[in-house]
Amino acid sequence: MKERKTWLYYALPILSLLLLAGGWLYISAAKPELFPSPAETWERLGKLIKRPLARVPLYTHIFDSLKRVVIAVAAASIMGVLLGLFMGVSKTFQATFGTLFEMIRPIPPIAWIPLITIWFGIGEFPKILIIFIGTLAIVVTNTYTGVKLVDPLMVYVGQVFHAGRMQMLFDIIFPAALPAIFGGIRMAIGVGWAIVLAAEMVGAASGVGFLIFRGNELRDLPLIFICMFIIGIIGALLSAVHPGWKGDCVRGIKRK
Amino acid sequence: MTKTNRWNTMVLPAITIFIFLTVWELVGAAGLVPSTYLPRPSLLVQTFFTKLKDVNPEGATLIQNIASSLSISFSGFFAALIVGIPLGLMMGYFEGVDRFTKPIFEMVRPIPPIAWIPLTIVLLGIGFKAKVFIICFAAFVPCVMNSYTGVKMTNPTLINVAKTCGASRMQIFLNVSIPSAVPMVMAGVRLALAASWSALVAAEMLASSSGLGYMIQMGRLLARPDLIVLGMLIIGLIGLLLSVVVTKLEEKLLEWRHVR
Repeated sequence: MKERKTWLYYALPILSLLLLAGGWLYISAAKPELFPSPAETWERLGKLIKRPLARVPLYTHIFDSLKRVVIAVAAASIMGVLLGLFMGVSKTFQATFGTLFEMIRPIPPIAWIPLITIWFGIGEFPKILIIFIGTLAIVVTNTYTGVKLVDPLMVYVGQVFHAGRMQMLFDIIFPAALPAIFGGIRMAIGVGWAIVLAAEMVGAASGVGFLIFRGNELRDLPLIFICMFIIGIIGALLSAVHPGWKGDCVRGIKRK
Repeated sequence: MTKTNRWNTMVLPAITIFIFLTVWELVGAAGLVPSTYLPRPSLLVQTFFTKLKDVNPEGATLIQNIASSLSISFSGFFAALIVGIPLGLMMGYFEGVDRFTKPIFEMVRPIPPIAWIPLTIVLLGIGFKAKVFIICFAAFVPCVMNSYTGVKMTNPTLINVAKTCGASRMQIFLNVSIPSAVPMVMAGVRLALAASWSALVAAEMLASSSGLGYMIQMGRLLARPDLIVLGMLIIGLIGLLLSVVVTKLEEKLLEWRHVR
């Protein structure tokens, strides 16, 4: 009984993938004009790699999107950690800046796109700004929660040793909140990868988001499929690669 | 409530908002920022009241826009709930279901809802069905993930107690695992609501001819920043209200936990 079950457990994932592949083949065979076959998609990928679309090769499209996310998330992390720390430590800052922040936070980042396009056009800066707005809120909220969850014992120890305000903030509270901060940055990277697509669809000359919406305009389903695969793979990589250096950082602080 | 407490929770935030709005208004009135870039708060109030009855410029009153957005968002959201939560619960409890659905789910999960929009437009057009599909997808992933984690995190002691008392596998699933997963499931519902509301805006901006997302998109094309900012504020406000409703519901659903 037990052995048969383990055998079944190994067969089930393969079966589901086979069913998915079979479903794709069946639909593309039944409605070739609507749905591209795997072979067609593969061919399109070869063509896309060989012949650049919009005078930009495929890897540059991917690289441009990643660059926008990295710049925006880096800026949002620096600003967000500082703002979150101050909000967590100072009641006055929380009551003033925090109030404004809470007013703006419920607006989805995508809803900023029209206004930012009116303000800054469709260059590189507005796209980064949109991602920045979307990721800043996550970093601030997580940092703030992290600060609030710092063990009071650590704060008391600091007080006993007469730590100054700045020492308290940067030597005790900041390191103790680091795991939550990194959790926030990690989430921000994932969200940033989703927003960059929206930012690029409004008006861009490169990027994966640009590519997938070009596929939409040209009714080029194989291109859309390829882009979805690429977006999914990079999204999965972004969430998988990250924990390594996060762990190292937090460990380094514990060792001290 | 002490005096400093009230100062920090009520007075200071009120003063901040007042100063913020005044500065915004004055900056606009003094002409530092032209009204084609940022409308003044007073203009927004005016636009709000005219837009309540006026269908211009994009073809629907504010109420119609809100109603259309909400109906699409709720359809997609509840569809995702009905499919996603049971699926997640079963994936968490039954190894076979988990093995079968995991590969497909893991392939689909990292693709953001926005990336589904082009495919949906080509296959389903820009009607009601297409938008509901995108929103359903956005809400589906957090529902499944959280229900799954909730069941996986069931305290083993509770399961062992049930086993000792002679409960069957099905009984344990229904009476132990599911109730203990409720907090995680509700957290998933909250995430799903936020995700579906933001996906709705994206879907309406790209593939729609009505709704709040369409309104702000049209505001951009017609250079009407007052419409955009008004739309943004209403989108934010509704998002906030919805999350408050879910939080209240969560408290109600979890009341039994505090009875000792």
